[in-house]
Amino acid sequence: MDKIGKQNRIKRILAVRGMGQVITVTIGLIILCIVFSIVNPIFFSGKNIANLLRQIAPILIIGIGQSYVLITGNIDLSIGSVIGMSCMISATMMTKGVNPWAAVFVTFICCLAAGVLNGELVSRCKLPPFIATLGTMTIARGIAQIVNNNYNTGSIGEAAKGFRNFFYYGKTAGIYNAIWITIVLWIVFNFLLSKTRTGRHIYAIGSNVDAARLSGVNVHSTTIKVYVVSAICACTVGLMTCATTGMGTMDAGNGYEMYAVAASVIGGVSTLGGQGILLGTVVGASIWGVLQNGLQFAGAPVAIRNITIGIIVVVSVLLDVVVRTGKHRKKAN
Amino acid sequence: MDKYIVELEHVSKSFPGVLALNDVDFRLKSGEVLALLGENGAGKSTLVKILSGVYTKDSGTIKIYDQVVDNMNTKKAEELGIAIIHQELNLCAHLTVAQNIFLGREIIGYGMLSARKMNAEAKKILTSLNIDIDPEMIVGDMSVSKQQMVEIAKALSTNAKILIMDEPTSALTAKEIEDLFLIINKLKKEGCGIVYISHRLEELEHIVDRVTILRDGQYINSMNFKDTSLPEIISNMVGRDIKEKFPRVTCKRGKKILEVRKLNAGRMVRNINFDLYEGEIVGIAGLMGAGRTETTRAIFGVDPKASGEIILDGKAIKIEKPMDAISQGIVLVPEDRKKDGLCTKLSIRENIALPNLDIICKKAGIINSKIEKEMANNTVSDLKIKLPNVEVNAGSLSGGNQQKVVVGKWLRRKSRVVIFDEPTRGIDVAAKVEIYNLMNNLKQQGIGVLFVSSELPEILGISDRIIVMCDGKITGELNVEEATQDIILQYATSFDKKIDDNILHK
Repeated sequence: MDKIGKQNRIKRILAVRGMGQVITVTIGLIILCIVFSIVNPIFFSGKNIANLLRQIAPILIIGIGQSYVLITGNIDLSIGSVIGMSCMISATMMTKGVNPWAAVFVTFICCLAAGVLNGELVSRCKLPPFIATLGTMTIARGIAQIVNNNYNTGSIGEAAKGFRNFFYYGKTAGIYNAIWITIVLWIVFNFLLSKTRTGRHIYAIGSNVDAARLSGVNVHSTTIKVYVVSAICACTVGLMTCATTGMGTMDAGNGYEMYAVAASVIGGVSTLGGQGILLGTVVGASIWGVLQNGLQFAGAPVAIRNITIGIIVVVSVLLDVVVRTGKHRKKAN
Repeated sequence: MDKYIVELEHVSKSFPGVLALNDVDFRLKSGEVLALLGENGAGKSTLVKILSGVYTKDSGTIKIYDQVVDNMNTKKAEELGIAIIHQELNLCAHLTVAQNIFLGREIIGYGMLSARKMNAEAKKILTSLNIDIDPEMIVGDMSVSKQQMVEIAKALSTNAKILIMDEPTSALTAKEIEDLFLIINKLKKEGCGIVYISHRLEELEHIVDRVTILRDGQYINSMNFKDTSLPEIISNMVGRDIKEKFPRVTCKRGKKILEVRKLNAGRMVRNINFDLYEGEIVGIAGLMGAGRTETTRAIFGVDPKASGEIILDGKAIKIEKPMDAISQGIVLVPEDRKKDGLCTKLSIRENIALPNLDIICKKAGIINSKIEKEMANNTVSDLKIKLPNVEVNAGSLSGGNQQKVVVGKWLRRKSRVVIFDEPTRGIDVAAKVEIYNLMNNLKQQGIGVLFVSSELPEILGISDRIIVMCDGKITGELNVEEATQDIILQYATSFDKKIDDNILHK
């Protein structure tokens, strides 16, 4: 009896949508870690793990945002540019002597506006999300360039020390703040997605938007919410980038929207919507980070890293497809 | 004529956890129409899929034209002249009729597609079937019935001699069904063997020669249609006698719940006025495209209204989106469950919870998973939905059970008016009766029930009052005592003569 109860519990955990792929990729992640630590024992040193986690942090944060959007069946291409915009706006203001926290606040509002714009374009104006966010992507990058007259900013200076510590360098309870921020964001957004009404609406829209609307889901406001979540995540990463480098770079976050897609998709979020869990995004982002870090340790050049990561994205999704159709075929036979 | 062209003997097939077919025999002669009957989940689809090579059998033999076929697959089935016309149409909506008919077998001339030849060839096939369709029409622009005709033409263009039709009439109007039956009879004369799957037993007498009945994956009986009767067929299908096909309860008519006044919404909803009282079911009858679905959608706030008033319990209410209607107590069980009713990638639990999250959620919109689960389990047991557990994907259920989920998710909240749009389409007799009972139940509770259906017997059997629509207008209103199929049809075809014929045919 007890055994059956236990089996049922395991079954129930496995039955959570998307858990199958999360487990598959977790196994992949473990294998990667073992391989890299054999190649170079330093990989598993405390210092490198702290580094690794800080490398994973930004990818995971934007992965969360992108996962939200992907689960509704849309996509957000503006993430990378919003990172750049966030980085440049905050840095420019700080170099001009604005209080760092006031700068953070203004940056936040600007990024929020980008999110709302995305949401409105997609849900009210019915633009295809690919096109709508492509537009916002270009606009946001333009804003990143224009705020400091087409130059990267100088150092944000001593006044911003607190800001830099808060977003990146400082430690709380022995762990880097960047990691804490990631954990807090993940917990909040995971709770929102899996335990609340809005979260359920997000899945419903991704699965069948007509059925969702007829069930009383406000598709318009929910779509805006997911794009706002994505913008908040990108804003945070932009501020982190600014805190890390101590300056504003115009091409900060270039290409990150695709890293975010990669992290989500490796972790089992379907680009068709309706499927995926944020736990998967954690594993997806970790695989991305481990590969970057591990290959760097193994002395592989950037080109090789890119090729490897590209292959991993395709293979991990392919694996999922094969597993699923395999199951299907078994059923059919 | 009496030669068997398909013989399946002792065929079994199991899926994980279910024995879908258990030692089933099945025979089809040339030049006959065989009705394959059974409730949802009886194994009809599985049998047909084995015959057409989609599934492989576990055991048993398949003989086609006296030849044993061992490794049946879809390709081989096509070569043997077996074609299946699916319940869900498999056409490319953006391509033309001819392009669809020749999909995968395009005619090439001078190394290029020969559109001219394909159009001519398609025209020939269509004419031979007496189907009046231009081969250059885009399939997506045509009505469902026309699409079905194209599907049949496509099957015949591959020289199919064994045709399988799965619920071909479920989306057709009376006139279109007649056309289809003419085609079927023509094919029959030409020596085709036709397997006809349908839940609409009333239609069978027009075309069917023999029936084969399955129940719970087992072969029950084969009979000549002439030697049997509908009650016998039904009792064979369900294994018990269904006493009342249309259970009727009489209630006292109470006070007025809903008034719709001068509702206009596009061309298909013009000046609609009607009332709905407590303790009655109002049926909305009409032909396909009469504007019934559009009317319900306008009331529910899915489509925008141009003008008009909706008065609930004496108060005029504003409905701009479905959410407004739901919060005021008007709910709609939509027509097309795949498109509008279900999130197929989500679980049954999540689907049932979706419109009721306001009840389920605690403060701050946090889902109370205990209430949610209870709600799902109650719905499943109340409606006798057959499923392993509430966590399975909605897409994995059979049609009838999916429909019950769509209906069930709306019955968990206190509503004043429940609108059903074609709630029994494509589901079996027993499930239909359960849906009728549910509607009666609502009626007894004093909830207003609006009921759209294309099946006249059903409308006559369940409604207390019948509104007939034609071309976006209400053309008649009848009490059930005075209503007959003839009168309803008369109202349903009273088109506005002033309208240009071209608009009508559009």
